[in-house]
Amino acid sequence: MKNKSVVTEAREIQIAIDLIKLGARLQVLQEETQISRERLLKLYKEIKGESPSKGMLPYSTDWFMSWLPNIHSSLFMDIYKYLCKNTSVSGVEALIKSYSLYLEQIEISQGEPVLSVTRAWFLTRFFEANMLESTVCTECGGHFVTHADELTKNYVCGICRPPSRAGKTKKAALMDAIAA
Amino acid sequence: MNAQQLHEEIKEANLSYMMLAKQMINDDKISAIFRLGISEEMADLLAGLTPAQLLKMAASNTLLCAFRFDERLLLNMVTDFNKDRMMSQAHATILMAGRPVEALAA
Repeated sequence: MKNKSVVTEAREIQIAIDLIKLGARLQVLQEETQISRERLLKLYKEIKGESPSKGMLPYSTDWFMSWLPNIHSSLFMDIYKYLCKNTSVSGVEALIKSYSLYLEQIEISQGEPVLSVTRAWFLTRFFEANMLESTVCTECGGHFVTHADELTKNYVCGICRPPSRAGKTKKAALMDAIAA
Repeated sequence: MNAQQLHEEIKEANLSYMMLAKQMINDDKISAIFRLGISEEMADLLAGLTPAQLLKMAASNTLLCAFRFDERLLLNMVTDFNKDRMMSQAHATILMAGRPVEALAA
């Protein structure tokens, strides 16, 4: 533990607990708190009852560009930016709040959460690094995630103009077959 | 519905709206600001209202809550009715999040 303040420590542990519950990877916790790796591991096992998954983090901006991930990421990012702009929260606390609101919205509309909290965290980082940005759809006026260097003069979002094969997955076909 | 009935209905709607808003702000201010679409200053003001003030405000002949959709948004939600529910709700939230909050005049 680098800092000695008990209050700060308690706050950081609460942040770590919230992030673990939302399904964050260990690397995110290490970045966002000053808590040592061993203590984070212990905390993780205590909450999840299992060891955190190992391996590389999903480090790619391209994932956010495919159809469904783009809509989910834009939804999350719009909530995140709304909170940063209109409330006093920022940084990791804004991430936790907006990711919870995103999950809640997906849950009430009976969808599958496509965006993981780890990816959501990366998304905020990519925005800070100006690798990704928000572009206004010329048809609906909503803000959507795009590459920073993309040509966006006549941008139309994936909801206003879905690609022809959008959402036609094996799973969707199976669900249709069951419903029919 | 006569004027008297209408007045009663408005008062009731106002009261439940104000009480729900106050409850939401007290439980989780940050999420409430998102859900209600109001500024933090406005949220603090609402949370600080006394029950007597709340009653006085509710007893007006106009509604205290307003529609949050502009025409374009409404059109989108209606035309998206046949698409899947998750998509149209996500779309509505994306558009709603891009709008300015209701704030107190300076």
